[in-house]
Amino acid sequence: MIVTAQKPLDEILDFLSPYNSILIAGCDGCTQPPRGLREARTLAQLLELGGKLRSKNFNLRVTTLPKQCDSYLTLTTLKTQIADIEAILSLACGLGVQTITQVLPDCPAFPSQNTLFIGAEIREDSTLEERCAACGDCMLAITGGICPIARCAKSLLNGPCGGSQQGKCEIDPEKDCAWDLVIKRLEKLGRVSALEEIRAPRNFGQVVRPGRIIG
Amino acid sequence: MCAICYSSCPAKAIDIIYYDINSLTKYLENAKEEYRSDSLVILCKGSAPDFQDVETLFGISEFIPLSVPCVGRIPPELLLKALSHMGINKIYILACDEDYCRFERGSSITEHRITALNVFLEQFDYGKELIKLERNSLKVKADRNKCINCGNCVFYCPYDAAKLEHGAASFDLELCRGCGLCVTLCPAFALDLEHWEEDRISALISDLSKEKKKTDILVLRCQWSVFPKLDEEFDSNVHIMDMPCAARVDPLHILEAFRQGIEGILIAACPEEDCKSKTGSKEAKRSATALKKTLSQVGLEERFHFCSVSPRYPEAFREELKQFKVRIESACSKEVRQ
Repeated sequence: MIVTAQKPLDEILDFLSPYNSILIAGCDGCTQPPRGLREARTLAQLLELGGKLRSKNFNLRVTTLPKQCDSYLTLTTLKTQIADIEAILSLACGLGVQTITQVLPDCPAFPSQNTLFIGAEIREDSTLEERCAACGDCMLAITGGICPIARCAKSLLNGPCGGSQQGKCEIDPEKDCAWDLVIKRLEKLGRVSALEEIRAPRNFGQVVRPGRIIG
Repeated sequence: MCAICYSSCPAKAIDIIYYDINSLTKYLENAKEEYRSDSLVILCKGSAPDFQDVETLFGISEFIPLSVPCVGRIPPELLLKALSHMGINKIYILACDEDYCRFERGSSITEHRITALNVFLEQFDYGKELIKLERNSLKVKADRNKCINCGNCVFYCPYDAAKLEHGAASFDLELCRGCGLCVTLCPAFALDLEHWEEDRISALISDLSKEKKKTDILVLRCQWSVFPKLDEEFDSNVHIMDMPCAARVDPLHILEAFRQGIEGILIAACPEEDCKSKTGSKEAKRSATALKKTLSQVGLEERFHFCSVSPRYPEAFREELKQFKVRIESACSKEVRQ
């Protein structure tokens, strides 16, 4: 899922300061933690508390929609709710804000979140960890289902490096060395010989920004 | 701290801190005067946190209320004493379902005792079925129409009671133990917990804010972390709200309370190793840590405190509350001076 973290409240209050009537729009889509109606209401309470400190009384309304990346859904859900709204504050990933901007160009939309990465939630210690870098050249088939692009600090294609110490990464001993995990996994699968072939550097020429797929 | 050993000991060789037979007898004597009824209703806090549903459950509107953490701690001797010497003619007991009992065997032991006592009382011509037992458990309610299929409840349920089925969360109520963790984490308000519904708690908080005292302090307390005295009273500005588990404490309610003018909020949870809901205390602590960080953005972090207390240490809660109260009252008076 897409992992986001709420922006500092002061930053949000700064960019909302010219507006009074604001619609806080949650997204029931793929963000983790899900930024739906509960998050929208929570943020509304927080903005009111923060607004008070700046002697600012917002007129806040909350809503949520199934997924803000769907332009049709976003338009049909929001257009009936913005008659007296001066700005929309989105709880979605960066995509949501841009979809709102595209379908409702007359209503300024702002992000309440910083979109961080594609990651997974680890139940035991309640952390969210990056798992996929959306690199466009997936090598999970070779690395036993563990991604060194997203999980190795250096995104090495031929690892581990000399900084791998007892299964941990030299840049952060809290983090597992991705290549250590890859090798252990491949040993278990009896496929460690697949790593004997040196992989050439990735061809970044194939990675086109902005990405576009037709059809 | 279940006191089942106490209520079972034939030699009266065991002492307990809470609700021993003397304090219960004294309470009943006073309550008899106060309520002027000959019916006694004993509830386990887990089966019903208050007496609102007694009329529906037992068909009586006037009664002497007695709420205890687990009915298994009530010595049979007290029931006999009440019926034979204290002018009580009928006793109604509401226990948790057997597999829901927070003290493992409290509920089942109570059933055995009542059966034996009723036989005994009938044989001695006191009457038939003088002690009536009902069972109740408070569990999750899921609204399929609101569910967004995110799987948070499945991910976090400590009892594996939740699953995603046909596009929405559904619960195996046999497994649900009513901790409320899933309700607090549901992003779509699709879940609620019987008696501790989202709207009900919000309404209680709003009511508190309407009757504004000088410095209002709200205490959200796991009902298993503190065993209050039978005649416990707090200062009028301290508002105690018992929760089924600290996991049911919702950060949204805390923000609502602050916004409506509550000056200080204290959460009392059980220590993790004593949690009656597996991961409840742990999750509550995690959530409180995150909330404190959030509150620091609006200058309220010092107005919020999370503490772990246990009935093992009877003064622990009162001490925490005392310190918190001093902190909040001095912060408020400082603010007024400024």
